[in-house]
Amino acid sequence: MRRPTAVVIALLLAAAVTACGRDEPSAAPGFDGRTIKVGVLTPLTGPVAAVGKPLTAGGQLYFDWLNAERGGVAGRYKVELVTEDTAYRADTALSKYQKLKDGVVLFEQALGTAIVKNLVPSLDRDGIVASPASLAADWVRQRHLLAVGAPYQVQFANALDYYVNDAGGRDRRVCFLGVANPYGDAGLAGLEAAARALGVPVAATARYNQGDTAFTAPVNQLSDARCDAVFMATFSGDTSRFVGEAESRQFTPRYVVQATGWDPSLATGPLAAVMARSLWVMGEGTEWGDRRVKGQADMLDRLARFAPGQAPDYYFVFGYYQAWAVAQVLERAAERNDFTRPGIVRAMESVGTLRFDGLSGDYAYGPPAARVPPRASTLFSVDAAKPLGLAALEVNLQTDAARRYVFP
Amino acid sequence: MKRTAALAAAAAALYIVIPLRTSDYWLSVLNLAGIAAIGAAGLNLLSGYCGQLSLGHAAFLGTGAYVCAALGAPLWVAVPAAALLGAALGVLVTPFAVRLRTHTLAIATLALVFIGQHVFREWTSVTGGNAGRSDLPVVDLPGAADQGWFWLVWPLVAASVALVAAIARSRLGRDMAAVRADERAAAVVGVNVAATKAAAFALSGALAAAAGALYGAYKGYVGPEDWGLLVSIQYLAMVLIGGIGTVKAPVVGALFVTALPRLVEEVVSPGTAPQVTQIFFGLAIVAVASLRRRGVDVTARPRPRSTASCADQPQL
Repeated sequence: MRRPTAVVIALLLAAAVTACGRDEPSAAPGFDGRTIKVGVLTPLTGPVAAVGKPLTAGGQLYFDWLNAERGGVAGRYKVELVTEDTAYRADTALSKYQKLKDGVVLFEQALGTAIVKNLVPSLDRDGIVASPASLAADWVRQRHLLAVGAPYQVQFANALDYYVNDAGGRDRRVCFLGVANPYGDAGLAGLEAAARALGVPVAATARYNQGDTAFTAPVNQLSDARCDAVFMATFSGDTSRFVGEAESRQFTPRYVVQATGWDPSLATGPLAAVMARSLWVMGEGTEWGDRRVKGQADMLDRLARFAPGQAPDYYFVFGYYQAWAVAQVLERAAERNDFTRPGIVRAMESVGTLRFDGLSGDYAYGPPAARVPPRASTLFSVDAAKPLGLAALEVNLQTDAARRYVFP
Repeated sequence: MKRTAALAAAAAALYIVIPLRTSDYWLSVLNLAGIAAIGAAGLNLLSGYCGQLSLGHAAFLGTGAYVCAALGAPLWVAVPAAALLGAALGVLVTPFAVRLRTHTLAIATLALVFIGQHVFREWTSVTGGNAGRSDLPVVDLPGAADQGWFWLVWPLVAASVALVAAIARSRLGRDMAAVRADERAAAVVGVNVAATKAAAFALSGALAAAAGALYGAYKGYVGPEDWGLLVSIQYLAMVLIGGIGTVKAPVVGALFVTALPRLVEEVVSPGTAPQVTQIFFGLAIVAVASLRRRGVDVTARPRPRSTASCADQPQL
């Protein structure tokens, strides 16, 4: 009798140990059994800090709410942001990545297309997941990148389809202006793909270098091409300079910019009348304050409680739903009891579709080849009376041109 | 001799111990500083020893990085190849350098940055265009990645500095000093000014391109945005702050410009707003510029003015 009893006890002990293992994930870099630390690599100094600060504040709000109201991930693991300033410099970002990598489960934010491109080799080497605060389509098939949002290509495909089929632009001359960098390339790729699909030629393409202050050459080029609409992959300061020069030369096309090319001050500045008359902005989600969209209403409620001093900001919203995406992956990792680096990758590949209640389009995750980014964009017109200077014309627009866009 | 031997022994001990006792973060800071020091050694030779003010250094650095990516060869082949091409590009600049001096030469070399940016963006079959390239050689080094890079980079720093010091002591170095002091007088006493400038640009270009190749391989990515005018200005700041025309300038300057902001962040102002770090760093630059004409190199012993040669005076 003794031997069977010992065997039974041993089996019970083994089962108990196994059960313990199933209930509590073991410690991993950035996870001590109670707190999940996530890294943030963002510019807090320099000109791009105007983007990095609200983006980080948006992520902080989401995790403040998650920790306070839900008890953290899986109701018991609090999430803590560990933030480092990259000053939007690749070498600084690389060093800061090295500083944080062994103390975080993943990177909740890495801001900037060029910064992320510099980080990808290190992320792949170390097997760490990062969420890029950038809408480049290059991220869709990267194994260690948790991208959110409709890529720039999709934004312009939706914009052109809308312009051609819903705004009377079928027989108009469509042109492009873009900064000479991957962001500009992405905008042009989306516009050209949509133009092919719609049978509309792109009449002229003008590029400029980041830091250019005079836009006389591209204004003249596009004016000479008699462009009726200029699709612009620009930054907000460049949008203002280009539109200002075009106006002074009586060149008055329809402007369509990506959200990166917009700044709320443009709605009230000296070009306010031109902006209101001629400019559309392609972005995501809805207007700030639109409580008809559940994701926006929830965010505003949480904002009132945890960050009442936060001013309306487009990038704040992006940071908020980016953190939400990270939280969904962490929830999946908690279900699998695995916060290790390979565990986070497996969680990302098995999490299914990330949902954002209308703040951004849903994003289907899986192995890199199976990922499907959202195809929805929102078209805004300029209205100085609105919080971000933007009024939604078409919310969550999904056109055929965007649906047909094939990601490399 | 005893002092030199003791310094060499201390340097060797640090070389072995630092990677074993230092976090990946600080190793990455030191590795980037070391790579920058190699590039700055080239600019120090050109501007400090030969008196040729160049704002085109970023173009040479970028060329080296793209050569490293485009060759698809191991690093030990790619770096010398990049250095060779950098030297060739340096020689190409010489016809302008022979005709131009000081500020006008600086403006002419500035054009190199813009030409480089254009080529890096438009020659897409080689450079990858705006998207850049991430197929740089993976280096199999001992220890963890940053440990291995430290052991690789810092001997190359020592070699670069030693090379520049040897050139400075050679006949070519004396010719450079003569060109820096007064081109016409140098020509009168038999110095071949054009050949001296060509050699200075070639050697400077070679060191810059080698540093660029190492920088690209270290990051595993090279894109056109890495090689703008700001990079050229930073390298000029390195040699100026380090003590232009001195042997130690590249190392001291590179550590000052690349590592000091991180040190200030961690030691002087931990947990404070990043802007505080920037203010400290800015004040440090102003202090160096105001108080020490020969840069931040505190080990440099000032010589009495009456005995200092013309070649000892920084001339830009």
